[in-house]
Amino acid sequence: MDFFLQMIFSGLSVGAVYALIALGLNLTFWTTRVLNFGQGSVLMIAAMLTAVMIGSGLNMLLAILISLAVAGAVLIISEIVAIRPLLKVSGSMGWVVSTLGLGIFLQGVASLAFGTQAVAFPDVLFSSSASVQLFGAWVSMQYIAVFMISVLIVGLMELFLRYSTWGYGVRAVAHDPDLASLMGIPVRKVVLYSFMFSGLLAGVAGILVSQISGTVDPGFGLHLLILAFIAAVVGGMGSATGALIAGLALGVLEKLIAGYYSPAAAHMVAFVLLVAVLAIRPQGLLGKKEMVKV
Amino acid sequence: MLELSNLSVSYGAIEAVNSVSFTAQPGSITALIGANGAGKSSLLKTISGLVIPKQGRVILDGQDLALIKPHERARLGIAHALEGRRIFHQHTVEENLITAWHFRHPKGDFKRAQEQVYSNFPILAERRRAKAGTLSGGQQQMLILSMATLHEPQVVLLDEPSLGLAPIIISQIYDFIRGYAQEGGRIVLISEQMASLALKVADHGHVLRHGALVQSGTAEQLSGAGLASAYLS
Repeated sequence: MDFFLQMIFSGLSVGAVYALIALGLNLTFWTTRVLNFGQGSVLMIAAMLTAVMIGSGLNMLLAILISLAVAGAVLIISEIVAIRPLLKVSGSMGWVVSTLGLGIFLQGVASLAFGTQAVAFPDVLFSSSASVQLFGAWVSMQYIAVFMISVLIVGLMELFLRYSTWGYGVRAVAHDPDLASLMGIPVRKVVLYSFMFSGLLAGVAGILVSQISGTVDPGFGLHLLILAFIAAVVGGMGSATGALIAGLALGVLEKLIAGYYSPAAAHMVAFVLLVAVLAIRPQGLLGKKEMVKV
Repeated sequence: MLELSNLSVSYGAIEAVNSVSFTAQPGSITALIGANGAGKSSLLKTISGLVIPKQGRVILDGQDLALIKPHERARLGIAHALEGRRIFHQHTVEENLITAWHFRHPKGDFKRAQEQVYSNFPILAERRRAKAGTLSGGQQQMLILSMATLHEPQVVLLDEPSLGLAPIIISQIYDFIRGYAQEGGRIVLISEQMASLALKVADHGHVLRHGALVQSGTAEQLSGAGLASAYLS
C-alpha cells in the first residue's frame, strides 16, 4: 500500500510538471498555430543554467530568476527570428524545421558550454531528504512542493485566460487574428507575450522537474516534451484544465507501470493511451470542437 | 471626411484594386457595388489597414493612415465588419461584446453600451449567454454590427452585411445602419453585390468592376442607370 501511494504521489508530481509544459506549448499554439518542438531544449537550458550558476556560488533565487529571464528571452528571440518570418507565407510548414532547429541549436549550445555530462541539480525547494507522512506513506517534500507550484501556476493561467481582459485578447487572437486586430487588439504584442510566457512556463517546469530527477543533461528535454505533447493533445489543445487532468493521469500511469511492471513499458503505454483517447474523442478530453455555423 | 486617393492593391500578380479615388462625407452612407471579385473587400481592407495598398493613400480628416496599424486604426474610430460572419464563435454573445469593447480604449461605460446593444436588438439580450457560433445567421449579423458600432466609431465599414439573410432581417439591419450614420454625422461604407438593396439605403454609390471605378453618383442617379453592365465581363 505504501509503495502504491508513493507511486501515486510521485506520479502526480511529475504529471503536474507535464501539464505546465503542455500549457506553455498550448499558449504559443493558440496564438500562432505553431507547435514549438524546441520547447524541451528551452526547459533544459533553464535547468542547466540554474544548476551551473548555483554550483558556481551564485545566490539561489538570483540564479533561478536569471534562468527564467533567459528562457523567456530565448522564446521571444526565436519568435522574431525563426517563426514570424515563416508564417508570412500562409500554409508554410517551415516552422516545423525552425522550431526543431531551435531545439537542436540550444542543445548544442548547452553541450559546448556545460559539457554533455549530467549535472547534479541542487536542492532549491526543501532538502531531498525532507519528507512528510501522507495517508501513511512517506512523501518527499520536494514532490509536494513541485506539485503545488505546478497546479497553482496552471490554475492561475486558466483564471487569467478566462477572466482577464488580456485573456480575452489571447483567445480572440487564437480564433481569428484579423478580426482581433479590427477589435483594437495589438496582435503582435499578444503573440510576443505568449512566447515570453511560454518560455517562463518552460523555465519553471525545467527547474521543477530537475528538482525531482536530481540531474540535468543537454538531452533531457526531449522525452519531457513528448509527454507534454501527449498531455496537451489528450487534454484538448486549448484547455488548461484539460492539460492538467491529462498530465496528472499520465504521470500517475507512468509511475504505476514503471513501479509494478517495468520502466521500459511506461512510455509505450502512454502512447497507447494517447491513441485510445483520441480514437474516442478526437478533440481531446476537454477540447471543444470548432463550432462554425454557415 | 474619408478620402481615398489613387488606391491600388495587388496580391502577387493579381491586381485587385486599380487606382480608385473617392471621398465619403460625414452623415452619409456610401455603397460600393460590384460583382464578386470586383475589389470591394480589398478596398475596405485598405481602409481598416488589413491590406497594405501598393500605391495611393487613405486619409481621414486630413490624417494619412499609411503608417497606422489595424489595431490602432480601430482605436482611432474605424470599425470594419468583415464579410462571412466573422465573430468569435466559441465565445458567448456577451464575451464577444466585451472583447469588442476593451481593447479599443473607449470612453464611457461598457454596461451602458451593452444595454444599448440589447435595446437595439432584443434577441441578443435573450441569447447573451449563448455561444456566438450557435446563433442564427441574422442574429450573428446583428452581433457583428453591434460589435462594430459598440464604441460609436466615426467610420464604419460593412462588407456584405445582407449576404444570405431573410428580407425582414435585412431591412431591420439596414434601418439600424441608416440610423447610425445619421445620428452622429458618421461615415458608413457598405459593400453589396445586390445593387438595388444598397442603393435604397445609401446616399452615394460607386460601381467597381475588375478593381476599377466605372461609375459614381448619387443613389438616385445610379438606381436610374442600368447597372447590369457592372456585372457583365
